[in-house]
Amino acid sequence: MAMVQAKSIIYRKLAAHAFLWAWLALIIFPLLMVIAISFRTGNFAVGDIIPSHPTLDHWRLALGMSIVDESGRTIPPPFPVLLWLWNSIKVASVSAVLIVALSTTCAYAFARLRFGGRSLLLKAMLVFQMFPAVLALVAYYALFSRISDYFPPLGLNTHPGLIFAYLGGIALHVWTIKGYFETIDKSLEESATLDGASPWQAFRLILLPLSVPILAVVFILAFITAITEYPVASILLQDESKLTLAVGSQYYLNPQEYKWGDFAAAAVLSGFPITLVFLLAQRWLVGGLTAGGVKG
Amino acid sequence: MASAAATGQGIAAPVRPAAHWLKWAIIGVIGLVNLYAVTLMYIQGETIFALVTLILVATGLYVFAAPGAYVHRYIFPGVATMFIFIVFPLAYTIWIAFTNYSATNILTFERARAYQLSQSFQIADQSFDFALYGAGTNTYRLALTAADGERFLSPPVELRVPGAGPQPPASTAAIEVDLLPATAPPAAEPLPIKDLVRLRGVLQEVRAHLPNHTDLRMSGLRQFSAIRPLYQVLPSAQGGDGLILVNQQTKERIAPDMRSGFYRALTPEGEFTGPGIAPGFSVFVGWKNFLRVLTDPGVQGPFLQIFGWTLTFSLLSVIFTLAIGMVLAALVQWESLAGRGLYRLLLILPYAVPAFISILVFRGLFNQNFGEINVLLSQLFGIKPAWFNDPTLARTMLLIVNTWLGYPYMMILCMGLLKAIPSDLYEAAAMDGSNFIRDFFSITVPLLMKPLTPLLIASFAFNFNNFVLVQLLTEGRPDIIGAQTPAGTTDLLVTYTYRIAFEGSGQDYGLASAIATLIFIMVGVLALINIKIMRVDRPT
Amino acid sequence: MADVKIEHLVKNYQPGVARDVLRDINLDIKEGDFVVFVGPSGCGKSTLLRAIAGLDDITSGDLFIGGRRMNEVPPVERGVGMVFQSYALYPHMTVRENLAFGLKIKKVDKQTARERVAQASAMLGLDPFLERKPKDLSGGQRQRVAIGRALVQHPAVFLLDEPLSNLDAALRVKTRIELARMHEERGSTTIYVTHDQVEAMTLATRIAVLSPLAEGAATNLEQFGPPLDLYHEPANRFVAGFIGSPKMNFLGGMIEAPDARRTRIKLDTGVSITAGVDTSRAHPGDQVEVGVRPEHTVLLDDPRADNRITGTVLVAEHLGAETFIYLDVGGKDFTVKVRPETPGTARSQFDIGVPTDACYLFDAQGQAFPRTERFTRT
Ligand SMILES: Nc1ncnc2c1ncn2[C@@H]1O[C@H](COP(=O)(O)OP(=O)(O)OP(=O)(O)O)[C@@H](O)[C@H]1O
Ligand SMILES: [Mg+2]
Repeated sequence: MAMVQAKSIIYRKLAAHAFLWAWLALIIFPLLMVIAISFRTGNFAVGDIIPSHPTLDHWRLALGMSIVDESGRTIPPPFPVLLWLWNSIKVASVSAVLIVALSTTCAYAFARLRFGGRSLLLKAMLVFQMFPAVLALVAYYALFSRISDYFPPLGLNTHPGLIFAYLGGIALHVWTIKGYFETIDKSLEESATLDGASPWQAFRLILLPLSVPILAVVFILAFITAITEYPVASILLQDESKLTLAVGSQYYLNPQEYKWGDFAAAAVLSGFPITLVFLLAQRWLVGGLTAGGVKG
Repeated sequence: MASAAATGQGIAAPVRPAAHWLKWAIIGVIGLVNLYAVTLMYIQGETIFALVTLILVATGLYVFAAPGAYVHRYIFPGVATMFIFIVFPLAYTIWIAFTNYSATNILTFERARAYQLSQSFQIADQSFDFALYGAGTNTYRLALTAADGERFLSPPVELRVPGAGPQPPASTAAIEVDLLPATAPPAAEPLPIKDLVRLRGVLQEVRAHLPNHTDLRMSGLRQFSAIRPLYQVLPSAQGGDGLILVNQQTKERIAPDMRSGFYRALTPEGEFTGPGIAPGFSVFVGWKNFLRVLTDPGVQGPFLQIFGWTLTFSLLSVIFTLAIGMVLAALVQWESLAGRGLYRLLLILPYAVPAFISILVFRGLFNQNFGEINVLLSQLFGIKPAWFNDPTLARTMLLIVNTWLGYPYMMILCMGLLKAIPSDLYEAAAMDGSNFIRDFFSITVPLLMKPLTPLLIASFAFNFNNFVLVQLLTEGRPDIIGAQTPAGTTDLLVTYTYRIAFEGSGQDYGLASAIATLIFIMVGVLALINIKIMRVDRPT
Repeated sequence: MADVKIEHLVKNYQPGVARDVLRDINLDIKEGDFVVFVGPSGCGKSTLLRAIAGLDDITSGDLFIGGRRMNEVPPVERGVGMVFQSYALYPHMTVRENLAFGLKIKKVDKQTARERVAQASAMLGLDPFLERKPKDLSGGQRQRVAIGRALVQHPAVFLLDEPLSNLDAALRVKTRIELARMHEERGSTTIYVTHDQVEAMTLATRIAVLSPLAEGAATNLEQFGPPLDLYHEPANRFVAGFIGSPKMNFLGGMIEAPDARRTRIKLDTGVSITAGVDTSRAHPGDQVEVGVRPEHTVLLDDPRADNRITGTVLVAEHLGAETFIYLDVGGKDFTVKVRPETPGTARSQFDIGVPTDACYLFDAQGQAFPRTERFTRT
């Protein structure tokens, strides 16, 4: 708006800046606080934002190194944070790749091919994706204990099993990709067919390269969803060495063994890369989020 | 090109005859393997899982084999996983809601029966001294000596200590070992007692068979005794119907009580008597779980209270996040404001940090004694609120944290939608002498509300089921006093369900599923409303 | 090069559910023909073209290209090249990659592929743009890339679906001429879809007129023949109304006396006229429609003004080289093309002469009576 503005705009701008800064201070306080706490001595210390006796002990523990306390005892790292982070990244990347593959093929059929039950399936997907998995945890547990009986590599307490479970959540992604495919001129693929491309080649050489932006969005959304997923992982995984970060982190704040400082270091360490990925990707994600309409 | 006709597209899969027999061979193998698995499941009484596997495998094979289903090949993998992980758990949960499935009644009837029939008792006067000899890694030979000095020796058997992890009862199969007469013990030294202790778990699964068909079983670290099945099916000659079992030790008759899901003793008249004999099995109980939710005061009271809080929480969360998100979006989109990009980035930060981390951070910050928030409050006002012990404060805390977590999402949505509002509307309003506050309430808000409605409903549904927040922040506490099941004042229906199913001693899956079913219905209604709204919006 | 033969072709997108889109289409397209499909929007022109290409399957009937039955043959083996209305250029590839895509898929050896691309590019003047992406080209350039992409395949049959409809008027004329020249040079069998009848008349060696399939109609191929035949001897009222611009005028009437050479017809306005048509199969009193092309009317001072028709002037359009006067004749619109200087005052009476040999006559079913004379402008 390049309108001629009244004088009062200066005050309004100042008020806006003041308001935004006050709000940001409030919002960012917790985040700064964790960073500060991760450098404080001990697990119960209270103090200022800039710690008076900064220590790297919590960070050593988070990075899997043992430390020696004042009384000379060696304290091993309480939890394998890096292993959990690795587990999370592994599960999230594999499931995101598979989700992209599954929802792309599905979306291709829904966008380009005609078949019985098409619109019914599309609508059913919209309805079913609103049911949270956490309500069916009993069923999930039962399902996976059966799978364990007959095919252990995909059963309880395995990462492939967890990845498999995450593949159920493709409905929204199918809708998103389908919407994108429909904006691509159908005659492009027909033209490729005339040029001698098989349906697979037309999909692979024409449609797919044109869809890279939306596939990236879906990949990142699926990745973040999987990395932050808690309930299903907490039911399916049991061994400490198999846990994902989302499940493992809560053990730090057990009232019996309150490890506030250790948690802070682990949280900053593991949360930082994920936050960074999100912030870098956020520009593309906005469209995907609005289309999907459900918090990721 | 039969497939062309089916797709109506004229684009058909090229069929290479050479690959044809291979395809059928693969399909045949998959079919047979799965048929075997399905039969196995069916025999074990897992009718539902057998059925689901059968349906999935059959449709899968059809889709990939029949040329007419060419198109469905693209959707089958996706739709099948959605079926397994969304539709099936949904249906299975609803089914459980009508059973007494719980920690005490966890087996199927067939398994419970098999368990009873596998029970045995020892005959005291037939004991054998027992020693174990190593015969390679994890393989051993059993040597038994009778009281009269007769010796028996087994061929090498593999005895492996099972790995960690839960083992459902009666799922481990017995290890069958045939003993052969022997004249002398093996030359080697028998294993020391500490190895026996280590192997005790597996050894207890060993069923040793003497040449005269007597069955032996471990009865002490150094002893095997003759055993006999504890229960036998009552022969039909004596009036048995195949269900009644007879205790061989006490001659008591027991039969499955299909109402309580336990085997129970029978009086001579055939009436059930006495308590149930563990393990229980799950049986169909009709509407009982639902009736408990609706009428049993120990369940109904907490349920209604939690339901009310769930609604309040979801509604307030949507309102707070929307109000803040919208105002911030309008500010950040204001073109004459310097540094908008930076503001935007920082404002989105709470959304970018993984929720499970920020929730736990808040859990620490709100801690009554060491939390920074109380440190600050006590320095400023001299108060130390008990955020986790006072119901009202705990709820306030949940709302604060959820607003912190959720406003960036609303802000992102509003920013997207604000871009679509043509600026000439504001210009026209300015001609009419409107100011920015009037602009906001008379142009921005009304124009945003319509496209936002389906998203707000989705957000309401999300918060209605905001499991992670409550589970990681308060775990539902402080608890509601006088509740029959684990229930807390900050519990949402989802966490309540979770606690009934997975916490405490009861692990009442049936009741939990009944509540889950009620939530399904509510969410389903929301979903349908949403689809309706979206469809109404589409033509415009 | 090949001929295309279509026999009893039927196309229905959802047999049993929806109506046929095409019914009993029979076309015999000779080698080197330039055939244009015309018809109103939605009549199935694209569908027929796509059926020939193999992009849509045929519900029943047969399709032969170069003598080989093609019903079940996948598109790529039919030897056709197609230019889509939207051009369907691959946005992520450069012009060169677009041209070479089909050759690459077919694993044509690199040398040959390069030569063919170079040849097509030179012929269409695409050399300066070869490394650009389609989005950096103008509409006309894109259009030429689309043609080039079909050309490099050396198709036996060249299919074009409204290739000019996205171009502005001037470019359309220019490209039309280029297409005609190209066909002249290469002589390849070409099938071209348009709903612009000027394109049809100027480009075609033969035109196929399609109509939206009416309830119970035996076919929706109305007529297939050389452009001038369609102009002078339309098989029915639909073709007569469709071919020619501005459109033919129609007036209702009744046969007074059937005749093998010249028939007298009493118009609904009360006037009787004489038409040079053979109505020997008709009976006196049969309802008919008389058709007169605007450009075939003459002023009363003309010796050929055999019949006189009177109407009220609605509007007169003076275009400089010619003048059109829109009349109301007994409640029907009637357009006439007259000498440029002819005045036409709105709401005034206007008399126009209609030569006997300029009349077309259609029976109640819309079928044309054979004409015995053909109007020629001197
Ligand atoms: N994939 C399809 N499924 C069902 N009906 C279709 C399909 N494609 C086209 N039709 C229908 O077939 C009829 C003919 O369509 P077609 O595209 O061939 O028309 P057209 O003559 O090319 O029209 P235009 O001049 O507007 O391009 C139309 O009624 C259309 O609705
Ligand atoms: Mg068309």
